[in-house]
Amino acid sequence: MRWFYNRMASVSPGLCSENTLSTAQKAKEDGDTESTSSSFSSSDYNYDLEPEWLDDIQKNGELFYLELSEGEEEAALARVAASQCLSTNHVRFSEKEAEVITEQASTQRRGSRRTGEPALKKLARILGRKRRPSQRKGGKDGSRGKATPSPPASILKTQPGQQQDVAVQRRRLKEACVYLNPKRLASSPTPLCERGGLLEALLGVVHRPAWTGGQTDRGAVRQDGRLTVHGLIPNSPAIKCGQILIGDVLLAVDDVDVSPENIERVLSCIPGPTQEEILYQYPVSEASSQLKGVRGIFLTLCDMLENVTGGHIISSSLLLGKHLVHVGYWKERNNLLVVGLPAQRVPLLSLQTVVGDVVRTLKVMYGSLNSAFCKPDHAPRLDHFFCLFFQQLIQPWRLREGSPPPPDVSGSLFLDGLPAVRWLTLPPEIKMEVDTVLSDFESSDFGEMSEDFFGLRRLYVILGSCLFYKSYLIANHLPKEDLLDVCLYCQHFCLLPLASEQRVGQLVIWREVFLQQRASGGLAPGFSQPPGRHFLLIVGLRHFMQCVLLEAGGCASPALGSPGPDCVYVDQVKATLLQLNALEAAMEERLNVPSAPCLSCADWFLPAATTRDRLDSLASSSPVLSKLAGAIRGSPSGHRGRSLFGEKSRKSSPQRSLSDSGSEGPMDAGSGSPAAPGLSPHSTPDSGRRIGGRQDSLGSDGSGGSGGLFKMPRMKHPNPFYLGTLKKTLTDRETEEMYNTIKLTSGTENTLFHYVLMETVQGIFIAPTHREVAQLSGSIHPQLIHNFHHCCLSIRAAFQQNLPARGCRAADRSQRSGWGLGPVKEHGVLFQCKPENWTDQRKPAPTMTYWVIGRMLLEPVPQEFYVCFHDSVPEVPVEMAFRLSFGLGL
Amino acid sequence: MMLPDGSTQLLCLTASSGVPLFTRGASKQLPFSVIGSLNGVHMFGGGQGALLSSCETEGGGKVVWKVFHDSVMLIAVSGGGSSGACSGEEESRLQRLLENVWSCMVLVLGQDELVNLRNIERLKRDLRSCFCLIDKLLEEKHQGVLGNLTHCADSLVPPNPTPLQEAVDGFAQAADSEFGCLFVHGRIVVATEKWWRLAPQEVVLLCALVRTFSASGSASCDYPIFLPQGSPTVAHRLLRFQLLPGVDVCVLCGPTPSLQKAETELVGRFWSPLIETLRSCLAVGERCLPGSVPLRPDVLALLLINRETRRSVSCVQISSHHPLSDSSLSKSRCWELLKLFYIFSISRYFTQEETLCGSPEESTQRSHTEDFLHGFSHQPQQCYLVTEECKSYGLQTQQHQFFLLMLPSVPTFALRTVATQTLADIISATAF
Repeated sequence: MRWFYNRMASVSPGLCSENTLSTAQKAKEDGDTESTSSSFSSSDYNYDLEPEWLDDIQKNGELFYLELSEGEEEAALARVAASQCLSTNHVRFSEKEAEVITEQASTQRRGSRRTGEPALKKLARILGRKRRPSQRKGGKDGSRGKATPSPPASILKTQPGQQQDVAVQRRRLKEACVYLNPKRLASSPTPLCERGGLLEALLGVVHRPAWTGGQTDRGAVRQDGRLTVHGLIPNSPAIKCGQILIGDVLLAVDDVDVSPENIERVLSCIPGPTQEEILYQYPVSEASSQLKGVRGIFLTLCDMLENVTGGHIISSSLLLGKHLVHVGYWKERNNLLVVGLPAQRVPLLSLQTVVGDVVRTLKVMYGSLNSAFCKPDHAPRLDHFFCLFFQQLIQPWRLREGSPPPPDVSGSLFLDGLPAVRWLTLPPEIKMEVDTVLSDFESSDFGEMSEDFFGLRRLYVILGSCLFYKSYLIANHLPKEDLLDVCLYCQHFCLLPLASEQRVGQLVIWREVFLQQRASGGLAPGFSQPPGRHFLLIVGLRHFMQCVLLEAGGCASPALGSPGPDCVYVDQVKATLLQLNALEAAMEERLNVPSAPCLSCADWFLPAATTRDRLDSLASSSPVLSKLAGAIRGSPSGHRGRSLFGEKSRKSSPQRSLSDSGSEGPMDAGSGSPAAPGLSPHSTPDSGRRIGGRQDSLGSDGSGGSGGLFKMPRMKHPNPFYLGTLKKTLTDRETEEMYNTIKLTSGTENTLFHYVLMETVQGIFIAPTHREVAQLSGSIHPQLIHNFHHCCLSIRAAFQQNLPARGCRAADRSQRSGWGLGPVKEHGVLFQCKPENWTDQRKPAPTMTYWVIGRMLLEPVPQEFYVCFHDSVPEVPVEMAFRLSFGLGL
Repeated sequence: MMLPDGSTQLLCLTASSGVPLFTRGASKQLPFSVIGSLNGVHMFGGGQGALLSSCETEGGGKVVWKVFHDSVMLIAVSGGGSSGACSGEEESRLQRLLENVWSCMVLVLGQDELVNLRNIERLKRDLRSCFCLIDKLLEEKHQGVLGNLTHCADSLVPPNPTPLQEAVDGFAQAADSEFGCLFVHGRIVVATEKWWRLAPQEVVLLCALVRTFSASGSASCDYPIFLPQGSPTVAHRLLRFQLLPGVDVCVLCGPTPSLQKAETELVGRFWSPLIETLRSCLAVGERCLPGSVPLRPDVLALLLINRETRRSVSCVQISSHHPLSDSSLSKSRCWELLKLFYIFSISRYFTQEETLCGSPEESTQRSHTEDFLHGFSHQPQQCYLVTEECKSYGLQTQQHQFFLLMLPSVPTFALRTVATQTLADIISATAF
């Protein structure tokens, strides 16, 4: 459901002419494989064993190597039939695999072309054969001049290559751009098929086969097979361009090698301003071909509306049968990307974000849409790319094995759409350790492995890296925009859930990337980035994943061709990760400790089940809590178990008497640990923490959730980027107190269900961890979270859409009519829910109401804050946001 | 750029052949090539099983297509540039506009002439009689009238409704009609029971029609109309009489009585005793609510909809010398904000009552925003919005929808209390 149109409105097809008098210029065509090996030699990689991933490096240097850990492998094998991504225990998007994947797609593509436009198919074939992944310019000559290895795998590989012309001649290539408009032919009175055909009529080049060697024999001409320019027609495009001279030989048109035999056909395939060519389409399905059939609509609207309303088109909606489809547009120069998505899955509100993100991902990977779509050998990669794209949006369950609860589509739409990465705060000492390890790596001091050791210029400069643990970002040494680029890539290829759900045996990814901010020259004015190429190296081990951005050129030695991953750098990252692995226990401990602020479960506010049931369901759902449940049952103080889960207070309505719940806190705190007085003024059903605390004080072995409570207050969660100025003004003691009372909601009861806090400047966001949410299972709570995310889509859209136009002052605005609602600072929605399957006929179903509120903050740092809490206490979201961001040390 | 910022142009063509019937709105008409292309893309898509319904451009421009009864194609093009209005909101507005324009064409010409399209030149000529009404719909300058949007009749709550109700019942009966209605400033004060049984959209259109007559200043008129839902092919007579400037009464009737007979015999008999009561209604003016209903001074504007009777009251209260108001919100901006907030809430959270417009397949073509509404797992009840200019609060109950605009100085946590209290005050005072 996606095409990339090429419109030739002002495209100038390049003409490649040749002058036989000049010196030879030879291009390195097969640099791919060579460069890989050369990088090894240059780095003096002298291990005996080759790395496992070595064979998987593709010709263009890219690598995607994934090896699951042993336990996971077995499990994966069992699920292999259902799995989409994991075809074997070694998942490799290597060249071979890519071919397998796309074999069907390519035949389908060819099939569709065959039925439609045979001429185009032919053109595509010719195009495909002659394209090279790099060093395109001037390369055509070289490729003809010697026996090249078979071109990189593409859908067109099956076409047998033409006989190789071994005659190497000394000649110079030049490339001339000529503006051609086939439409003019129609208006010109001269009949088309004169002697010169299109070559003369369209281009203005006179070629007389007879003149070549004084021979008139057609056969001889064919043998010669050269399109020598014998003359130029006045006022023709060829003469206007000024670079085509009589005596030149026309070699190729738009990378298509031409001969007297095919020149007419090739020229006839040059699309005019109104003709379009589908550069790429995915998938081949009924709906997609239906949309393809009406592509004229998209092109017409795109052209016309800009003149009518003064802005280019961003979306349109149409009914395909009974299904509403939203179509998003992205125009890049003369090409148009059109993405159709079912309205059921992607509301119009989020369409622009979704399209914007996919475009950015493509740009990160390929530099521009043009280079992504215009190279035929990209087709298999793009097929894979868009397969993932559509599955994540439309059939997310197919990307996960087994049958977990249906993924929250709104949740992923909202969270993935945020210009931020999910962040996990760590205790300061661990955080420092992590940062130190990362910094050590980034200093590129590889000892005897480093280039310095051998007096060589460095291959790469490490721009920075970021570290994920189980899909959470735990350290980042990258500028925000680079971080977002990297994260978009990881998100797109589902790398983050991979590390959280399965233990990765080994993951090595290497590819060239085009960092968006550097490409746009964003940074500070007057400061220009040194030119260089950038490479992304992702290495995953077990639950850790490190993404490293490397720069070649600039300070480091320039990259030639398409270098593959360098073993030394990969090994250094691996070593870093191995070093970090020692921290895994600490990470797990951090994840097991329900972090501040405490959360409540929606189900606790509805009298749906008896306490015992609830306890059991809780226990069965979470290993941590099952331990707790056991502790409660075994506890001699029976009243505690009861009050913990709030049987008395929670039975009737959410509006519990404050005294009841209030009495619980001090008593609990007092009996639990005198060392932390006043720790729980919040008498919430946050059983996990409280029991955890008690276990600690009883001297339990420190496993599971133990120790969490009393360590928490001392965690200061420093943030490497922003040290709150306010914090400096506080004494340690005050700070500590602040953390002690980190309950977000006011009142005596904890009414907080969920939250998302985004730090706009750093590009990170914080939300309760998956584990925390899982511990709060229940029947209503997952619905509530889905609803929260769905509502956040709307709230964020309100924040975004009503932003004032840049440079528009308040005074001007008030005078303009139709200005919309104006910038939205805060927006809240109150929801009501009822328990499902309410069977009691006598009583009406109990209801629970809760708020979802979004707030945009500009001070002290730009933030967006989304929160969901029970309706019993009126809250001031600004204060909550402040409390939260301060408490989390952001 | 062919369309000025914020303006809307309406195009009407025959659905089968694409012959332009008329264009209204915007100062400058779009070039014919553009009109042709806009129609062409929709027709082309329709033939290929891909029915185009809307599209959006950067900066808030929007195009909405709709075909009515396979015969008439209406296209609304709005010229964005407003840098603000959310896409969904603009779209709901334009969808409503197209429905209203179609109903308006049926109201004046009857469905037969529009569906059968025998003589296109004649139809073009006949359609001119709708222009006045269509232009009113396009302008949307008429402050205080939201019925076109809400499809609920704009009403005015009189201080003393009983004698007026008796009078309108008696007057209608004497005119051999079951449909009678009294308007003040184009808002319904009282009407016969049968009048309220008309489709809400018809009631809204009749209000608009009476407003145009009233504005023309004529004392009375006799006008044939078709009811888009109730009687799209058989015309009725609409008799309208001006009782006072700004006060109109009308009845829908058959061949009798004649305008002259009704004017001379009935109007004076039923209405002259009530002149003072009518004057008191005029005094209520744009507030729509009698003085007995207290409104807090920090309330800027409100819209209250009764979901059962499909009536609404709305008002803007601007006290320029208000101590708390440092904002220089104009009255028209207040109306605009109220309208925008209504559409915002309706298109995202609250349900809008289904209007009986068009065939079932047309109702599947409902606005996309409804898909968003269905995505909620729990029912939205209330919502609020804090912007630079004001704070807005909306709430929905079984019976009412209530939208309130308040000064920015009102604390956010108090919005809910103010809104519920104001709603309770109005309901208890007027039984609306």
